[in-house]
Amino acid sequence: MTLQTKLSKGDLVVLVEMNTPKGVDISDLVTNARHLKSRIDAVVIPDMDNGVMHMSALAGGAIMRQQGMEPMIHIYGRDRNRMALQGDMLAAHVLGIHNLLVVQGENIAHGDHQNAKPVDDLNELDLLVMVHSLLKGTDLAGFELKGKPEFFTGYQVQPIQDDDHLEEEIKTTKAKVDAGAQYIMVPPVFDIDYYIQILNKFKSLNVPVIATVFMLKNVGMARYISINDPGSKLPESLITRIRKAKDRETECIRIAGEMIKELKSQVAGIKISASGWEDRLPAILDCAGL
Amino acid sequence: MITAEQKPLKEIIEYISPYDRILLVGCNECVTVCAAGGRKEVGLLASALNLHSLKQGRTIDIKEITLERQCDPEYVEELVSEIDRADAILSMACGCGVQTIAERYKEKPVFPAVNTKFMGASQSQGIWVERCQGCGDCLLGITGGICPVARCSKHLLNGPCGGTSDGKCEIAPDVDCAWCLIWERLKALGMEKRYEEIMEAKDFRPAGGGGPRKIIREDLSL
Repeated sequence: MTLQTKLSKGDLVVLVEMNTPKGVDISDLVTNARHLKSRIDAVVIPDMDNGVMHMSALAGGAIMRQQGMEPMIHIYGRDRNRMALQGDMLAAHVLGIHNLLVVQGENIAHGDHQNAKPVDDLNELDLLVMVHSLLKGTDLAGFELKGKPEFFTGYQVQPIQDDDHLEEEIKTTKAKVDAGAQYIMVPPVFDIDYYIQILNKFKSLNVPVIATVFMLKNVGMARYISINDPGSKLPESLITRIRKAKDRETECIRIAGEMIKELKSQVAGIKISASGWEDRLPAILDCAGL
Repeated sequence: MITAEQKPLKEIIEYISPYDRILLVGCNECVTVCAAGGRKEVGLLASALNLHSLKQGRTIDIKEITLERQCDPEYVEELVSEIDRADAILSMACGCGVQTIAERYKEKPVFPAVNTKFMGASQSQGIWVERCQGCGDCLLGITGGICPVARCSKHLLNGPCGGTSDGKCEIAPDVDCAWCLIWERLKALGMEKRYEEIMEAKDFRPAGGGGPRKIIREDLSL
């Protein structure tokens, strides 16, 4: 059953995020994906995540198809103009990649190719309009396509900074839903009660809401997020819990598993981001009872 | 200079139609030189807007002012005595001037009456051509004083491409191939060796790749 079908039936979907390599060695990507094959619904492949040059998401999606898994790829406007984006979308369809997630690309100044020229021809709303046009069989110049692609397209909500920003982001996200976003993915918040409040507000947009569980890997990472991303509401108690644990890695896995357990009855789906620890994803799913 | 062209009258009228009292502000700098928004153009636009409103059976009050420089807060301050009598401001300066006014007089709507075009030079009477894109890392010293960033249609740093023909660019027969010009110029100066040196892919950070740019001169700051 496809991701779209499961979501339309109201079944919980589980997604994991896996980056393509910076290079051509895909062994870790393939191995980690294979270990999850019967346990998840789709693999989310970011494209140049955090502005760092990697193998393109299109290739990552094709690799997942070769493994018999359902991919979801990120699309954004920073690195490609409307021609390249449309060409890649047509390529995605023929490669069997039908799930798209429209995201905002990281600013080029924060990546590893800071001297590159940002393209930014289309923004997130434009991208949704573009996908909608392709679905109807027309490109952005108004020319008819030979064969219409099929996509299930969602929108990645921006990190929520505070309550005022939440209201603003809901309005912004509604515009994306009106433009054709069929599901939304909400960035992680570590205070689960507050996160559930946020998720419930996004449910008013009447599209499936997918929560994100971000795996903390150590005290340093938790502290960094707590200081630099106050909207993540990472409680001090969580940092203390990791710090006091005898086996910190296992504790981090347990924390991610517990978050999934608490969230899974609240949302249409959960995406797990292990940020480099994809080999620990089976253990997280074990902890979450998935 | 920064070049500009007046917007279509219809668009300007749409902007100001809800308002009865307009402060129409020109600029004595670049837009005066390119005859888009100086004192003379302010007068012409005011007359056109007045005529249009009379034809519509209404009158609008247009106060004409031309500042020395609209991109300088010191001169924009001169509008203080007029601002209360205006419902809206119509600026005939480049985008820098419009924004300087908008930042200073936050309570008043500000509309542009010109489209800012490019940094250019006067080629002949009534013709201005693009000469600079403000890339922040000037290459003119190694390209014979001819800018490939602004004048090559592909912004190539190692040209020409295959689209050059008899010194012209493939995009239009009246567009010079910048790299043919560069080659001829370097040859004339006996600097052909410079042409043979391969330039690295351009660093777009000084060109604004990482976001809006700023110049800070601590020796001049107060």
